[in-house]
Amino acid sequence: MLEAALEHLVRGIVDYPDDVRVDLSSNRRGRTLEVRVHPDDLGKVIGRRGRTARALRTVMGGVGGRGLRIDVVDVDR
Amino acid sequence: MTGSAPDLAVEGPEANEDGPTAGADTTAVEDTTSSNGSHGSDERRLADLEQEGEIAADYIEGLLDIVDMDGDLDLDVEGGRAVVAVVGDGLDKLIGPGGETLEALQELTRLAVLQKTGVRSRLMLDVGGHRARRRIELRKVATNAAERVVDTGEPQKLAAMTPFERKVVHDVIATIDGVRSESEGEEPTRRVVVLPD
Repeated sequence: MLEAALEHLVRGIVDYPDDVRVDLSSNRRGRTLEVRVHPDDLGKVIGRRGRTARALRTVMGGVGGRGLRIDVVDVDR
Repeated sequence: MTGSAPDLAVEGPEANEDGPTAGADTTAVEDTTSSNGSHGSDERRLADLEQEGEIAADYIEGLLDIVDMDGDLDLDVEGGRAVVAVVGDGLDKLIGPGGETLEALQELTRLAVLQKTGVRSRLMLDVGGHRARRRIELRKVATNAAERVVDTGEPQKLAAMTPFERKVVHDVIATIDGVRSESEGEEPTRRVVVLPD
């Protein structure tokens, strides 16, 4: 459910929605949602000074509760 | 000046029962009074704002479905911007402490509109009546601060507020004689200062 929610939020704000992938992983430190997007969309998901990434974290924190990490994975390396 | 359709862009909040698709009489009316030559573009502007609301509603409805929350969406255009309200109970998770989740969701929703239309949106989102309640509280805060400024002659610094909240306060202060207001500081601790005028 959390993956689908974040995927929906991200897909709506990028140029390549079909390239959005979200994976949930859990370990002792908590749950992490890893977001992968098309390299050209990285800036959109992060936003100016990280604003958009922060908004995504805030909304997902509200929906998914505390201790939910969100990593925007830079696959373009 | 005739009194026909004086201001299409600012319909009363009660006038939107049918939502934005209810434009039954879409025939262009270009013969409006000469006192308002921009009426044609006003109508297009209204259509654009209604479209913003629909895009926003789709985005938010999608989220509500996924997280299994119930909420009805009310669409409106007020003061030259689209207003989308999620109405219902049990929406606190989307409001968050001090409305921070609501602000974040509004920001994402504006980006979703920008993505679809290519135009930056000033859309206002409300969830569970939060902004309406906050507006009432803030009017009190602003009025009290203005009274203190008038009584003491000293500026009053208010608590840090969101842009929406500061706007409510500035609007109230602007209606009170003897005081004016400014904002100071950087987000997220930017605050209103009420000063003697």
